[in-house]
Amino acid sequence: MKGTAHNAGRRRRTRIAGASGSGLKKGWFILGLMGLRVLSLPAQEGEPPSFDGDVLPIFQQHCLQCHSDEARQGGLSLETLERVLAGGDSGAVVVAHEPLESRLLVLINSGAMPMGSPPLEPEAIEVVRRWIEAGMPGGSAEAPVSEAAPPAREREVMAAILGAKCLPCHGRRRQQAGLDLRTREGLLKGGKSGPAIVPGRPEESLLVRRIRAQEMPPPHLQEQFSVRGLTSVEFEKVQAWIAAGALPDPEEPSESDPDRVATAGSKVRQFWSFQPPRRPVAPGVKGKDRIRNPVDAFLLARLETEDLGFSQPADRLALMRRAYLDLTGLPPSPEEIRSFLADSDPRAYERLVDRLLESAHYGERWARYWLDAVGYADSEGGVSSDEVRPHAFRYRDYVIRSLNADKPYDRFLIEQIAGDELFDYKAVQTYSPDQLDLLVATGFLRMGPDSTYSTEQNNLPERLDVVATQIEILGSSTMGLTLACARCHDHKYDPLSQRDYYQLSAVLRTAYDPYDWLSPSMGCIGVGANCNDTNTRLLPLPSDSELREVEEYNAPFKRKIAELERQLEEKTRPLRKQLLKEKMAALPESLRQDLKEASQAKPEERTPVQKYLLGKFAETLQVTRAEVLQKFKDFAETSKEIEEQIKDEKKKLKGKPKIRALFDMGGRPTPTRILGRGEYTNPGDQVLPGVPAVLNGELMPYRVEKPEWSTETTGRRLALAKWLTQPNHPLTARVMVNRIWQHHFGVGLVSTPGNFGSTGARPSHPELLDWLAREFVDGGWSLKALHRLIMTSTAYRQTSSAGPLSLERDPDNRLVSRFPLRRLDADALRDSILKVSGRLDPTRYGPADELEIKPDGEVIAKESSNGYRRSIYVRQRRSQPLSLLESFDAPLLVPNCLKRPHSTVSSQALQLENSQLVRLSARHMAGRVIDAVGEDPSRQIERVYLLALTRPPTAEESAKAGEVLRQLTREWKRHLELH
Amino acid sequence: MATSVIQLFMNGGPSQVDLLDPKPALEKFAGQPPSRDLASEIRAVREAGGLMPSPFKFSKRGESGIEVSEVMPHLAKQVDDITVIRSMFTPHIAHESSLFVMHSGRMFPGRPSLGAWVVYGLGTENQNLPAYVVLDDPKGLPINDIQNWQAGFLPAVYQGTRVRSEGSPLLNLHPREEWPSPVVKLSRSLLRHLDRNHLSRHPDEAELEARIAGYELAARMQLAASDALDVSGESEAIREMYGLNDELTASYGKRCLMARRLVERGVRLVQIYIEGQIWDNHNALVKNLGYACGKTDKPAAALLKDLKLRGLLDRTLVVWGGEFGRLPIAQQPASGEAGRDHGPSGFSVWLAGGGIKEGTVYGATDDIGYKAAVNPVSVHDLHATILHLLGMNHRELIFEREGRSERLTDEFPARIVQDIIA
Repeated sequence: MKGTAHNAGRRRRTRIAGASGSGLKKGWFILGLMGLRVLSLPAQEGEPPSFDGDVLPIFQQHCLQCHSDEARQGGLSLETLERVLAGGDSGAVVVAHEPLESRLLVLINSGAMPMGSPPLEPEAIEVVRRWIEAGMPGGSAEAPVSEAAPPAREREVMAAILGAKCLPCHGRRRQQAGLDLRTREGLLKGGKSGPAIVPGRPEESLLVRRIRAQEMPPPHLQEQFSVRGLTSVEFEKVQAWIAAGALPDPEEPSESDPDRVATAGSKVRQFWSFQPPRRPVAPGVKGKDRIRNPVDAFLLARLETEDLGFSQPADRLALMRRAYLDLTGLPPSPEEIRSFLADSDPRAYERLVDRLLESAHYGERWARYWLDAVGYADSEGGVSSDEVRPHAFRYRDYVIRSLNADKPYDRFLIEQIAGDELFDYKAVQTYSPDQLDLLVATGFLRMGPDSTYSTEQNNLPERLDVVATQIEILGSSTMGLTLACARCHDHKYDPLSQRDYYQLSAVLRTAYDPYDWLSPSMGCIGVGANCNDTNTRLLPLPSDSELREVEEYNAPFKRKIAELERQLEEKTRPLRKQLLKEKMAALPESLRQDLKEASQAKPEERTPVQKYLLGKFAETLQVTRAEVLQKFKDFAETSKEIEEQIKDEKKKLKGKPKIRALFDMGGRPTPTRILGRGEYTNPGDQVLPGVPAVLNGELMPYRVEKPEWSTETTGRRLALAKWLTQPNHPLTARVMVNRIWQHHFGVGLVSTPGNFGSTGARPSHPELLDWLAREFVDGGWSLKALHRLIMTSTAYRQTSSAGPLSLERDPDNRLVSRFPLRRLDADALRDSILKVSGRLDPTRYGPADELEIKPDGEVIAKESSNGYRRSIYVRQRRSQPLSLLESFDAPLLVPNCLKRPHSTVSSQALQLENSQLVRLSARHMAGRVIDAVGEDPSRQIERVYLLALTRPPTAEESAKAGEVLRQLTREWKRHLELH
Repeated sequence: MATSVIQLFMNGGPSQVDLLDPKPALEKFAGQPPSRDLASEIRAVREAGGLMPSPFKFSKRGESGIEVSEVMPHLAKQVDDITVIRSMFTPHIAHESSLFVMHSGRMFPGRPSLGAWVVYGLGTENQNLPAYVVLDDPKGLPINDIQNWQAGFLPAVYQGTRVRSEGSPLLNLHPREEWPSPVVKLSRSLLRHLDRNHLSRHPDEAELEARIAGYELAARMQLAASDALDVSGESEAIREMYGLNDELTASYGKRCLMARRLVERGVRLVQIYIEGQIWDNHNALVKNLGYACGKTDKPAAALLKDLKLRGLLDRTLVVWGGEFGRLPIAQQPASGEAGRDHGPSGFSVWLAGGGIKEGTVYGATDDIGYKAAVNPVSVHDLHATILHLLGMNHRELIFEREGRSERLTDEFPARIVQDIIA
């Protein structure tokens, strides 16, 4: 074992203030997330409370349940004074004489602790406060604690500060003045002006001197690099580290360390979702005649325990509509209805399911669910300009195409997590379509909100937020884990530690390094903002048809621009000449002649004297635009006009096609550390890439293998993808199978699709879930096979009309004793309205359709010559959702959504009654009906029912509709006669 | 105790040292460079100047003697009704992040807003009007757009409903072309018939019933909303008091008056936003701050007075403030007069009614008005206090989501500012 004492000492340390009280004053602004403040209470006279006599009893009553030596939540025990002083994973919890700085007091004072229990009585809080104020005395016999504990992570804290303030110019990407501040060696070596630090002598250290003079970070560059000056607290910390001798960088953990791969204890692994799914045998049932496949057996066995069975089969057309809406999100046309009704094949329904699975609309429908899960949006979010992501659509198209091709789910995940690590894309001149897909797929982890394109919101806390969002999305969408909780502290309910969280963040570190950041898009904003091909997270799209298309599209505009520029130049030239003449005229004749000769001579033939002259009189010889505009006011007007025109033309140019991708940036990323309370100013242990320990039981461990072909890529994400897609992974298949089930039946077998942990719901049918998961994996991870299996079951084909028994014994239908009555979701509703009115533009793929905002605030899609495209192709902007979709619960995707809510709000009724889009669609639909069946009202009514509801009207419905139609006709006639 | 809230949201960040937090020491230190800590919070570093005293005069007003700047003469008359908190602070210097913090407690989008939590907790008292109404400025949406009043993960029914003060108040409240009323009646009756039929086939579906009811509510809302928002019947004296006769104050005045009419009818929470960045005075402080005050001071004071006269102030909490304050140093743009840059570390808000103490000042900034120094109040503290005044405990107002207990104040330490409660 190496350096046990040293390492053990590093694990938990506290700082007893007093020694440098001011040094601990919280730079709360910098700390970002947490502004801690408590009310000062009046001091009381008398003997200060002691730990043993006064404080421990309070802790015993309120805190030890979670913070005993054994339980040790958040790494904190309050059982002995020593433990209290040692603090927890987030650092010190008490600071002697500083109640305001003591986190423990802050938390009990606010009621945040004890968690889930009533707050402490004010008297008890006052005891703790006075105890801290008195310097935290122990027992009666003990001397008060006064000695300062060893310094806590001075070097790491220092590195975090320099990282935030200096690395943009003195780090990996740039080493201004030859200075690299990433390591202690770099600080000692220094740059052009010598070493940056002199250990033990802060005042002699150049670093300190430049910061003190407020020359560093340079004020004129701060905005551009999203950096601000050091606060006094930060500056003190930098000095303190140098004064203490500039202790060396801590040892890096070794990847070959056998203890590295942590496995959680077997007890916590007992939880159902952390066990690999095993294939259960389908149970025997009484009602064998209703069993079509094992799905039915599992469901019916459970139903029979309640003396229930399946409901009657659904009506043929109801089933048809269900299948259409489920698989394509669109209702069938009257012609399709007719041909299905005419199909007498006993397997007509099965063949219908097959046909629908082959339909291109299948991918459009199911991609929507996946895009919800990954938080897809066509804008960056977070900043009010909500910059549009012009290249995101490629990822959307990739998902649609992959689903239509029934790409195996494991492959689908691998491509999205690590497509760039599957081939040497840098060495390829032109990508094949498959290769292009691999890069586009990595857009998966680029979909959350990302505000860092604004220099004002590109500070470390925001960058860490971007990474956190992606970890949250990755965790919830693929594993049903609520990892976000473990960012600031160990998960309170699940065996997920902060270490697990930061190990995953290390997996992404080679692509998302907060200390070496790339802009999410070319549209960056703010003072000095400068995004270009080298500092954005976009990959070029090498020459392909799309690039040529853009060039062809741009060509006429470019020609126009060139022409305008030529005109402008033509008009400027004589004026410039005239002005030059005037300027020259002011010079003596001989000089004029010499200058003329010098400027006319070929540059390489000029004599030294000529060169000298040209240099000296450069200003005279050069007539700037500004001078011309200044001199000729009339021309200035004309010039402005032309320049405006050029500007307008330039706006019409399409940007170069690019890929919104996640890729390994190459080289060594900065080390990943556990951040106490999630704050970058509170760095802890360094971690290597890894996965949650609790899942490591029977799986092949996470192992990074650098791809052979690679010069740069590390393989960290590829290792994650491979680990995640192991056939016996406890979560991957279960989570996906559950979501597919949810989208067919409205509720998943686990009703919390994003939380398979202990606070999530338990599966209603655990064996069915496991059987489906195994079947899914063993069948080659085919999603279409899964749909087929579910949709051909008896359970799926039941009626949604509930019988009395089903209602009584299965009121919320968790046992699936009937098919649930389901509501169209926002996208299916809008798309169906467009389809039945004949205004659905069937064009697929490509850049998202733009939005139009009506004067009354309604947001609709821009109409194309063929109507409107499906909702999935409309620009999805976080700040401007389509009004119709927004009313009907389309999520804003901050960050993602695994289960859309169903709400009932009056704006829904108002939309469907009054919105222009719906009213016009109704008029179009009426026109279509007349075109198809003519003027006969009863045929019109039948047609309307078929189009909208996939069934003919009943006699009663037809009669009622006929009556209203007659009255309406009369009223309209009367109205038109009057007006 | 409060049953309604009117939030006068002052987008852009009103300058505390020029309005409600007098700092004579700035005269003494005028022109001096800022301290290291202040310097580390400057946004536009290249335009940063020295400490700048307020160009406006402060004087003690009312019986309480609270000092108010000369640019808020109308508020000055109501100063005995309000509590000024001079020690607010927030964690970010950009509008977007600070707006998210002020409205939802976190620096990023996606969390439910304060208003959404309030109506989630308390429901509504008027079924025919939205419970949470947003009166945005006809001149345009504020920064972060509709995300300021989103419901986040709370059901959409709790999100703020945008009500326009000009034209049709609610989106799609009326169609672009109105149908003849017999036609509307017939269509509605057919729809009702279809709905009833559908419901009779699924008698157990409560949600279906609610959705059908939604259409009936929508019809009632068309009447109720039009009535609530129609200020034409208000007396001339009221119109004058709110500044409806003066072009400068008319727009904001109308929205303040609408807010009064809405809380009168039981609307739970009304937020009034103001055009663009009216308080974002990066330059020409005298002119721009003067404009912002000119536009809002009279109507806001009128609202207080009116609520009080009608006996509504006791149950209506009025909250005035922006997403942050401004720095006490000058921001000197390349050309033109100086203004002030964003200052999140110390700023002022005022509250009135709904159980708030009358005529008090709470907390203080340091000598130069840069940073909250005495009794600092975080945004979470403010949220907890507002919920408390409405009778709710911020630790207990919980929404269960995917197994997590979500709160407005999340796990942030938040205290109820007892000292400002009567």
